[in-house]
Amino acid sequence: MANLKTCVFSLCMVALTPTVAVAAECPEGYPDGPITFRVGYGAGGGTDAVARKVASLIEEQAGWTVVVENRPGASGGVMATELMREDADGSIVGVASNTTLAINPWDNPDTVYTYEDFRYMGTGMLLNYGLVALKDKPYDTLEEFIAAVEEMGRGTVSVGAASHEIAVRAIADHFGVNLVPIPGKGSAAALQEALGGHVDATVQSTQHVPQIKAGKMVQLATLTDTRAVYAPDVPTLKEEGLDVSIEGHIFFMLPKDTPDDIHACLSETLAEATSSEAYGEFMAKLETEAMNMGPDGTRDWLEEASAFYKESLSGEQ
Amino acid sequence: MLPDPSLITNGLVEAFTLSNLLFILAGVAIGQIVGATPGLSIIMALAIAIPLTFGFDTLTAIAFLISVNKGGTIGGAVPSILINVPGTPESAATALDGHPMAKKGRPLKAMKYALYYSVTGDFLSDVVLILVAAPLAVVALKMGPIEITALMILAFTVISGLVGESLLKGLTAAALGFLCASIGLDPGTATPRFTFGMLELYDGLELTALSIGTLAMSEILYNIVGARKGKPSAAPIRVSGGTRSDRTVTFREYLANRYVALRAFVLGTSIGAIPGLGSTTAGFLSYSVTKQAARDPEAFGTGDPRGIAASETANSAVVGANLIPLLTLGIPGNIAAALLVSAFMIHGVQPGPLLFEEQGNLIYGMFGAMLIANLCNLAVGQVGMRFWAMIVSAPASVVFSGAMLLCFTGSYVIAGGVFGIYVMIGSAVLGYLMRAFGLSIVAFIVAFILTPELEGAIVSSRLITGDDPWAILSHPIALALLALSVVSIIYLGPWRRTPGAQEDPEKT
Repeated sequence: MANLKTCVFSLCMVALTPTVAVAAECPEGYPDGPITFRVGYGAGGGTDAVARKVASLIEEQAGWTVVVENRPGASGGVMATELMREDADGSIVGVASNTTLAINPWDNPDTVYTYEDFRYMGTGMLLNYGLVALKDKPYDTLEEFIAAVEEMGRGTVSVGAASHEIAVRAIADHFGVNLVPIPGKGSAAALQEALGGHVDATVQSTQHVPQIKAGKMVQLATLTDTRAVYAPDVPTLKEEGLDVSIEGHIFFMLPKDTPDDIHACLSETLAEATSSEAYGEFMAKLETEAMNMGPDGTRDWLEEASAFYKESLSGEQ
Repeated sequence: MLPDPSLITNGLVEAFTLSNLLFILAGVAIGQIVGATPGLSIIMALAIAIPLTFGFDTLTAIAFLISVNKGGTIGGAVPSILINVPGTPESAATALDGHPMAKKGRPLKAMKYALYYSVTGDFLSDVVLILVAAPLAVVALKMGPIEITALMILAFTVISGLVGESLLKGLTAAALGFLCASIGLDPGTATPRFTFGMLELYDGLELTALSIGTLAMSEILYNIVGARKGKPSAAPIRVSGGTRSDRTVTFREYLANRYVALRAFVLGTSIGAIPGLGSTTAGFLSYSVTKQAARDPEAFGTGDPRGIAASETANSAVVGANLIPLLTLGIPGNIAAALLVSAFMIHGVQPGPLLFEEQGNLIYGMFGAMLIANLCNLAVGQVGMRFWAMIVSAPASVVFSGAMLLCFTGSYVIAGGVFGIYVMIGSAVLGYLMRAFGLSIVAFIVAFILTPELEGAIVSSRLITGDDPWAILSHPIALALLALSVVSIIYLGPWRRTPGAQEDPEKT
C-alpha cells in the first residue's frame, strides 16, 4: 500500500500534473482553513528551516495553505505547553526537537508535560552527532583521545546542548576518565572554542563537516546508532562497546485528543513530503539524513529516549 | 596573503549583471523597510526570503540576502531617530543622539548622518573582509572564554563612564541591568533563576522588547504625563522647516567626525570578527568610548553628530566583519549570519576553510555584490528618508499613538507572543521610574547586554581551567586586556568628569 502510494505520487511528479495530488486519505472537509506549523524555536535555526521546507512541500503537494509561526522559548517548551491547550482539530501542528520532548520534562522543574501528552505525525530529520577534535591534537581516534585524557588528568569538551553534555558524561563514566563538558550558547560557540584550541574536543552535529572535509578536524566517534553520512569510516559509540546513542530528531506533533482520521491524514501527508525527492536533496545539502520514523516509530523512540534521559539526569543530581 | 586583484575585478564584473543589480536594489529596499519597522526583524525577513531564493542562481540568491541584511542595518536607524523607537536593537544607541537632533528640527540631517556613517562603516568593514579575512579569522579564534572574560571586564570599565554625574545612581542603573540579565537559565548548570515557574522566562527577557519598553514606551509615557501636568508636550518633529543646513550634511561636516568614525569602525570590525558578540554590543560600546574620550561628554545625548557617527559606523561595521568567521571558518557570528550559512548550504556551498579554493569565483562575485549593495544602500536611503520623514511630520497625537502601536506590535512579533508585550510594558514602567529618579537607561541596557556574555565566559573559563586562577598567566591576550581595563578605569573613570557639569537625566 505504501509502495503503491509513493509510486502514484512519483508518477504525478513525472507527468508534472498541475492538479493537486492528494494521496493521503483525509476526512471530508478537512482542512477547512489554513494549517499552522508552530515551531518551538526562533526563525533561523535548524528546526525552523526544516519546518519551513516541509510546509512548502505540503503546500505544493496537498494544495493546503500552511502558515509557519515561531514560538521560541525554553527549547520548545513554551510552544509545547501552549499546544496542550489548543483545540485538537488538526489546525495546529507543533514542530519540536528531542530536547523539547525527551529532555525538558526531566531537566526543567517547570515543565508540565511529557512526551505522552501529544500525538505524533512523525519526524523529519536525523542529526548525526559526533565527537570531534582539531587535527593538530595528538589523537585521531576515541582510544587515543581517552589515553590522552588519562595522561593529562582531565579533558574538556565544549557542548551546545543538554544531550551532548549527557553524552560526554556517559563517555567519561564508561572509560573512567575525567571529561569536563563545557556548556555554551550552542553548537557554533562550541565549534569556535574547539577550533581556537581552547578545549580538547567538541560535540557537533553538522557545522563541523566543512572542517572535516578540509582536513582541519577529525571525528573521534559518532554518537548515533548508525555511522554518520559524512564520516562513514568512524565507528559509533555502540561499536566502541558503550551502549549509548544520542540522536537529534525534529518532531511534528499534535494535541493528544486529535481524532484518528485527522491524525492519519496529517501523518500520511507528512510522510509524502519527507519521502519526496526534493526533500531528500534538501537534507543532503544540510549534510543530514531525511528520516521519518512514522507515528508509531516516533512514539517508541520517544519512550526509549525519555527513559534514558530521565535516568541520566536523575543520576546527575 | 592578499588576494589577486584580478580576482576582485572578475568578481565585480560577475556581480554586475542587470538581474543581480535589480535583486540587490530590491534586497536593499526590502531590508530598509523591514529595518525601519520596529518589530519586523531582519532575521524574520531573511528566514522568509531564503525559501524565495531557491530558484535563483547562487550568486543572485546570496547577493539578494546580503542586500536585505545590509538594508536592515540602515533602516533600523530611521525610527530610532524619528520617534525614538529602535527599529532594530543595534540602532538603540543611535537614538541617544539621533532623536534629540531630530527634536531640534533637524530629522533629515540626523538621518543623513546615520546613513553616511552607516554606509562608511559597512563599506570599510567589507574592504577588510575582502583583503584580510583569513588572517583576521585566525586571530579572532584566539579569543577563547578567558580572553572574552577579560574583554568584557574591559567593556564594563569603559561603560562605567556612562554612569553620568552620580556614581551611585549610575551603578544602581547598571545593577538593575545585571539583575534583569540574570533572569532565565544560568549558563553553567541550566538552573532556572527568577523564572517563577514560567517557561517564557527560561531564555531571559527579550532584548528588543526590553529596549523598546525602556527607551521608547517610557519616553512616550513621560511625555504624556508631562502634557497632563501642563508642560508643553514634546513638539512634533518638523521636517520641512529649517534652513538648508538643517536638512543636509556637508562633506565638511561628514569629515569633522572622521576620527570618531574611524575608531568606531575599528571597534565594530574587531567585535564583528569575534563570533557571538554582535552589533548591539558594538554600537553601545563605541558610543560609550566616544563619549568618554570626548573633551565635552556632556554634549552627548543632546543631538551630537559624534554620537550618531559612533553608533552607526560601529554597528554597520559588524555586518561585513561578521562574514569573516562565517566564510573562513563556517562559524556564524550572529543569527543573521547563521541564516546566511543555511542559505549557502541550500545552494550547495559550504562555508569553511575550503570555500575560497572551491568557490573562489562565487565568493569574489559576492564581494562585488556587497560593494554594489553599499552604493544602492546609499541611493535608496537618500530617497527613502524623505519618505519616512514625511510620515512622522504628523501631529504629536498621531505620532505618539502610532509609535505606541508599533511598540506593542513590535514586542508581540519579536518575542513570538503576548508575553513580549508584558515584558515591554514591565520595562516601560521600569524605564519611566528610572527617568523619574534620574537613573541612566543606557547604563541599564548596556549592563543587560554585556552581563550574559561576561557570565557565560566566566563559567566556561572556570570549567576549562579547573578553577585555577594562575592559568591566566598563560593567556597573554587576556592579561593585556586586563591591564587596559586598569588604564581605562584611571583615565576614563567617572572621577574624570568636571564637577558641576549638570547632566539631564532625560537625555541618557
